[in-house]
Amino acid sequence: MNETLKLGLILLLITAVSAFILAASNNATSAKIEEADKIANDEARKETLPDAKDFEPIDKEKLDSIQSSNEGVLEIFEGKDESGEIVGYTLKNLVGGFGGDIQVMTGISVEGKITGMKILSHSETPGLGAKAEEPEFQERFKGIPTENDLVIVKESPSNNNEVEAITSATITSNAVADGVNLAREIYNSQLSK
Amino acid sequence: MKLSETFNNGLIKENPIFVQLVGMCSTLAVTTSAKNGLAMGLAVTGVLVGSNLVISLIRNVIPDKIRIPSFIVVIATFVTMIEMFMKAYAPALYSALGLFIPLIVVNCIIFARAESFASKNKPIPAIVDGLGMGLGYTVALIILASIRELLGAGTLFEHQIMGAGYQPVLIAIMPPGAFIILGILIGIFNKVRMNNEEKKAAQEEKATVEA
Repeated sequence: MNETLKLGLILLLITAVSAFILAASNNATSAKIEEADKIANDEARKETLPDAKDFEPIDKEKLDSIQSSNEGVLEIFEGKDESGEIVGYTLKNLVGGFGGDIQVMTGISVEGKITGMKILSHSETPGLGAKAEEPEFQERFKGIPTENDLVIVKESPSNNNEVEAITSATITSNAVADGVNLAREIYNSQLSK
Repeated sequence: MKLSETFNNGLIKENPIFVQLVGMCSTLAVTTSAKNGLAMGLAVTGVLVGSNLVISLIRNVIPDKIRIPSFIVVIATFVTMIEMFMKAYAPALYSALGLFIPLIVVNCIIFARAESFASKNKPIPAIVDGLGMGLGYTVALIILASIRELLGAGTLFEHQIMGAGYQPVLIAIMPPGAFIILGILIGIFNKVRMNNEEKKAAQEEKATVEA
């Protein structure tokens, strides 16, 4: 038999076996991965908008129209209390950080206040930018009104629209602020009425 | 070679990081915290044991000419499997290691062991070699990462160790710190190793003189 053909066939056999094994493990894990993602997202929504009991995605058409002019918006949920009244929104936005994309979830109440911020995924430098994940930084965003642009400052904040940056991670801090600002703008222009 | 020798070879004598200096890219990148170092070390050990075993089993079937693509397929399959299972059962860990998991495919340690050991030895020694090399890599990563985390963030495995007044040495956690600390560690490791070998040689000499 032609040697090239023989080598090709052996390689085909090896890759076919490997493809079969991968398909089997994908089968075994894909449902679990989806579930883990869903749990993480549900928890993040509850943390960023603690007053809400139930979350539902907003009207598909509305989301499409928002996404067509704002590329970074991944999903928007409305949060409702026990009586079904809307108490606020959670927005998941994608922004460019120092080491890659950052997914930022922002909760905004119908009173126009930021109720919480959470980083869902990032690839920032551990020990520096990765501190954005820590509750201490996320707490700094709570209670800020949505009227004005949120600004990152290096000292202790003196105005209520200022947030103190993470030490030595200004790029990450600004990226997170961009994500929150995007949420804020969308809330002001599309959701608040 | 005895199995214990094979194991020791990977752990100390031919330690992949301190002696062979292979797999540097991931070593320098993930060692910003002890937890990441441990997780990366264990992931690499898992891939190494698996790929060594499979490559040893099929070593007589694979023609020499296509051994490299075949090894890569085997290694990549194991890495992808570990990635999937980590995503499903340890999502927090996966998000911390994220990018570095797929990069295990091109970690030279794994390929080097496949080429120089597993493809020439029986399955049991191949597994032991994978364990020794993998644990040698893990230990090196944990030592390097612990020092960097302790100096750079004042914590160890995320527990506060240094007092509240400690001013972290940021360079330790940034890329230059990885090079500097790794260099010092390699120096110390080799000094100790050479001292031990000298002692051994002196003892042997003494023994022959006395005889």
